[in-house]
Amino acid sequence: MAIERPATPRPHDLLWGMTAEQLPADAPVWARAALARHAPVVVRRASAEPGWIAVGIRGPAREQRFATWMRLDAIRRHVSPEAIARTGRWRTHAQAQWPALRALAQLAPELTARGLAWGVTGSLGFELASGLAAAHPASDLDLLLRAPQPLALGMARTLCTLFDGAPGTVDVQLETPCGALALREWAKGAARVLLKTSGGPLLVGDPWAAARQAVA
Amino acid sequence: MQTLSFEFPAGQPARGRALVGCVGSGDLEVLLEPGTAGTLAIQVVTSVNGSAARWQQLFERLLRAQQLPALNIAIHDFGATPGVVRLRLEQGLEELNHA
Repeated sequence: MAIERPATPRPHDLLWGMTAEQLPADAPVWARAALARHAPVVVRRASAEPGWIAVGIRGPAREQRFATWMRLDAIRRHVSPEAIARTGRWRTHAQAQWPALRALAQLAPELTARGLAWGVTGSLGFELASGLAAAHPASDLDLLLRAPQPLALGMARTLCTLFDGAPGTVDVQLETPCGALALREWAKGAARVLLKTSGGPLLVGDPWAAARQAVA
Repeated sequence: MQTLSFEFPAGQPARGRALVGCVGSGDLEVLLEPGTAGTLAIQVVTSVNGSAARWQQLFERLLRAQQLPALNIAIHDFGATPGVVRLRLEQGLEELNHA
């Protein structure tokens, strides 16, 4: 797999290199076990001290998520959702009949043809990148779409139609320079939308506004 | 999936109806409809098992800050954090007032 190493890891990136010894004393046993089998950690949307990054550890059960921080200098490998999309490892997944995998096979060429910067996140992204079982037959397909500029409502609706036509449930998050929001909510054209930021969730009218103000 | 039901005292029935939120991980959908006078009935369908106490606490905190009209609230939760739940409820109540 091609490895790229952007300067600072971003939410949903997978990082390898954290060891069980680096966990706080109160960390659950399953979190230690996950790191012991070299599972990657997932970058969280939360602030961190300089030299650290907020990460989450996945346990075998859905509610098993442990939030912690990793030292940046402990990172040994770094895989972005886009890198998971580019390598196309889902083509050789043993369970090609799962709706999420069928959806991915159907959508990948469409998204790439539109020139979109997109990636695979969630349990399927984790499994494709690490080779560790995480997804199950009923898993949603979680996708991320980079949107450095405001996404026109017409385009958002066209994309929703595309995703609705795919097998299973496809959950698409738009990553703006200020945070993340659901593509589906943006496409509805509501007065205010929920933006997940590193400082917590916010209801905002324009999820790109803060970045534009910063540029101006 | 787990279904939880809660009931709290409330005022007169709300007039409007509102649907906010999103179906997707880490989010929730909230439907607010007029209820029976004096009762706030909340039904939560959640993908997170064993979270009844957490919901009870969240609603109690919300109701300590404000008296709500009589509503039937249906919540479909996909593992949202308490912060997201509070914002979605706030958004729903706001839309109700503007309806």
